[in-house]
Amino acid sequence: MPSRRRTLLKVIILGDSGVGKTSLMNQYVNKKFSNQYKATIGADFLTKEVQFEDRLFTLQIWDTAGQERFQSLGVAFYRGADCCVLVYDVNSMKSFDNLNNWREEFLIQASPSDPENFPFVLIGNKVDVDGGNSRVVSEKKAKAWCASKGNIPYFETSAKEGTNVEEAFQCIAKNALKSGEEEELYLPDTIDVGTSNQQRSTGCEC
Amino acid sequence: MMTSDLSSSPSSSGTEFADPNPSTDPETNSERVQSQLESMNLSEPSEVSDGSHTDYSGGDDDDENAGAVEVALSNGNEGGVSNGCVAGTSVEEEIEGGEASSRAEYPVEMEAGEEPPSPTSSGYDGERGSSGGATSTYKADDASEDEIREANVDGDTASQHEAAWLPGKRHVDEDDASISWRKRKKHFFILSNSGKPIYSRYGDEHKLAGFSATLQAIISFVENGGDRVNLVKAGKHQVVFLVKGPIYLVCISCTDETYEYLRGQLDLLYGQMILILTKSIDRCFEKNAKFDMTPLLGGTEAVFSSLVHSFSWNPATFLHAYTCLPLPFGSRQATGTVLQDVCASGVLFALVMCRHKVVSLAGAQKASLHPDDLLLLSNFVMSSESFRTSESFSPICLPRYNPQAFLHAYVHFFDDDTYVMLLTTRSDAFYHLKDCRIRIEAVLLKSNVLSSIQRSIAEGGMRVEDLPIDRLLRQKPNQGQAGHESPRDVSVGTGGPFGLWHFMYRSIYLDQYISSEFSPPVTSHRQQKSLYRAYQKLYASMHENGLGPHKTQYRRDENYTLLCWVTPDFELYAAFDPLADKAMAIKICNQVCQRVKDVENEVFLQGASPFSW
Ligand SMILES: Nc1nc2c(ncn2[C@@H]2O[C@H](COP(=O)(O)OP(=O)(O)OP(=O)(O)O)[C@@H](O)[C@H]2O)c(=O)[nH]1
Ligand SMILES: [Mg+2]
Repeated sequence: MPSRRRTLLKVIILGDSGVGKTSLMNQYVNKKFSNQYKATIGADFLTKEVQFEDRLFTLQIWDTAGQERFQSLGVAFYRGADCCVLVYDVNSMKSFDNLNNWREEFLIQASPSDPENFPFVLIGNKVDVDGGNSRVVSEKKAKAWCASKGNIPYFETSAKEGTNVEEAFQCIAKNALKSGEEEELYLPDTIDVGTSNQQRSTGCEC
Repeated sequence: MMTSDLSSSPSSSGTEFADPNPSTDPETNSERVQSQLESMNLSEPSEVSDGSHTDYSGGDDDDENAGAVEVALSNGNEGGVSNGCVAGTSVEEEIEGGEASSRAEYPVEMEAGEEPPSPTSSGYDGERGSSGGATSTYKADDASEDEIREANVDGDTASQHEAAWLPGKRHVDEDDASISWRKRKKHFFILSNSGKPIYSRYGDEHKLAGFSATLQAIISFVENGGDRVNLVKAGKHQVVFLVKGPIYLVCISCTDETYEYLRGQLDLLYGQMILILTKSIDRCFEKNAKFDMTPLLGGTEAVFSSLVHSFSWNPATFLHAYTCLPLPFGSRQATGTVLQDVCASGVLFALVMCRHKVVSLAGAQKASLHPDDLLLLSNFVMSSESFRTSESFSPICLPRYNPQAFLHAYVHFFDDDTYVMLLTTRSDAFYHLKDCRIRIEAVLLKSNVLSSIQRSIAEGGMRVEDLPIDRLLRQKPNQGQAGHESPRDVSVGTGGPFGLWHFMYRSIYLDQYISSEFSPPVTSHRQQKSLYRAYQKLYASMHENGLGPHKTQYRRDENYTLLCWVTPDFELYAAFDPLADKAMAIKICNQVCQRVKDVENEVFLQGASPFSW
């Protein structure tokens, strides 16, 4: 492997409004939680230094707004993502049902070079609510969905209590890193007279 | 700015303003409107001290219970709309329900409030289910303006006033069947032309579907006649309508504000919605008339409630000008220079703001930012908590710049008060804007601008007490008022020199205004609000029929002596003690103008005005 490594990893967090994306971020980055809902506008940008196998990385995290009006906007910052985190609320079936839409929308907008193997991570949040009694999406059901989408890693978290949040982001960083290394191949385009113009070169992050 | 077709003067006859189809048969038309109104019973506000109610008296907190607005849909008005019998009629747009003669002619059913009169206290506490509401002052969730005011009747300053607003919508549990809801002094509604609720200041939109349908019925009834309803007066209530394509906006108010200003408020409310969604929503309604817009405004309640709150404390909402944070000339200039550099690198607008005040701003060549857009933008950013936590990037539309399309805004708070906004047409410019912000931040730190800003916040703005009084004293003997108490005595305890309480100066060329800090005796939230309402009336009367050169107005009532001076360069609004001497007041006004000119480099953003249209 070449010694020049990518040190920036771009992570996008998607999911319905209110599932707890911002809360997860806030728990992970600032170790804080607030009960008050503050709807994210557009997208928030945060960075966090992580250590992984003796190397330092900067996670660039895009915490996106789940509100409906932001969903139809062609979102420029999906492009060049190294990992996409899908979040749902285990107490809301609708937020789980919408995962398919979020995943597909991401693949369309970000158009990664290898959509089949693009790294996603699924988080089922708010497991603490009502001691788990108001839960409507079972772990089994969530895992079955993950299996059907090419074995997506799955975590159950509580942003409120901090349960499993660190573990989930460790996995996110690991997966983002993997995708980054695979793309680090220098493949210059060659002029190919006769075929239609080149669609895109390998993902380049500026 | 009000255009002439929006304005109506209370003194002119109803058919005189903005009527594209002059009424040919006012008798029958009025009857029709009357029948519409009968379905919407506007009750007199039940105030104990009704008799002593004066134009500028307090108690105008519009969050407070005041009168009942009752709606009964069963009154056959729906039939009136659907059976098409209104064809060819043109309806008188203004019903002067407040005048005895017209009240007799077009009786609008009056009804005493069902609740015992409660002019100031929140008599609906019990109903709302909050125990001990009168004593729970700063309860985060349901504390309302009236509760805060009760706790703070005296001594809250303008900034506290500003801070007293709590994010989010209140009284969501109400609907049009709740007595408390019907007694609110000022309602705002946004609905679609199919009658679907989009926004309501109080209560839950979905529960208000029936009420929305009634409003829609009234509007489309008049529209079917090829006409437009602008204002309905019924006793103390004004019902103001604004139609913007498929969107209807309605204000029901008994706050004694002018029609022009209420209409302007609806305009701003519409602008705020456009800022969030753009005018492309019109297309949604073209495709599907039953389109439900409420989900698109998810999470924006705080933006609207904060705008509505600003109608009572922020003069920018009726002056259509912006205000700057007073700063040393060098600080503002250093900021302006780096913002201009940033604009040269492809940013459309670059602004550094402190709360609702401008520190400095710049625009790309030929791009100009309207003061109303600036107001809506800062309201949006200040009321959305999520901007404060990190760097944000969001689509945003400037309704006056281009209502059709989104720009992209980068927002970052340097501290609790100061933030930068960078607007661009490019959706992929985040990293560039982030770099720009780093450059701007470096300049602000190097030139100590952030600490100047904090100092300015602590010191406050211009004070009437600080006007150079000595020069005035020297002029005093010319007055020939020997034996009168000494001028210094007059000024003691009554604000500025010779009973000057407050002023606002608006530079027409710069599109900026400066107002003095509130000082005694105008100290409470309620007094400040009442003074603003007096200014609004003055503003409306000065802007009725276009401006002539050098217009002045002098008004005196039991609350204030008001003086207004309009020239092609500036407008001055000043409030004095009701007993102030007229000749002296005029002298003081000249003094104020001189003083503003002396400090204009600190209180205004000078130089290449990006606002030239
Ligand atoms: N009990 C509990 N509440 C949570 C948890 N995570 C988030 N919440 C609450 O859920 C609400 C929404 O959380 P946010 O993090 O703002 O949701 P979001 O996904 O960022 O929403 P948008 O920004 O609108 O897309 C807030 O009131 C949080 O306090 C959790 O793990 N447990
Ligand atoms: Mg969020």
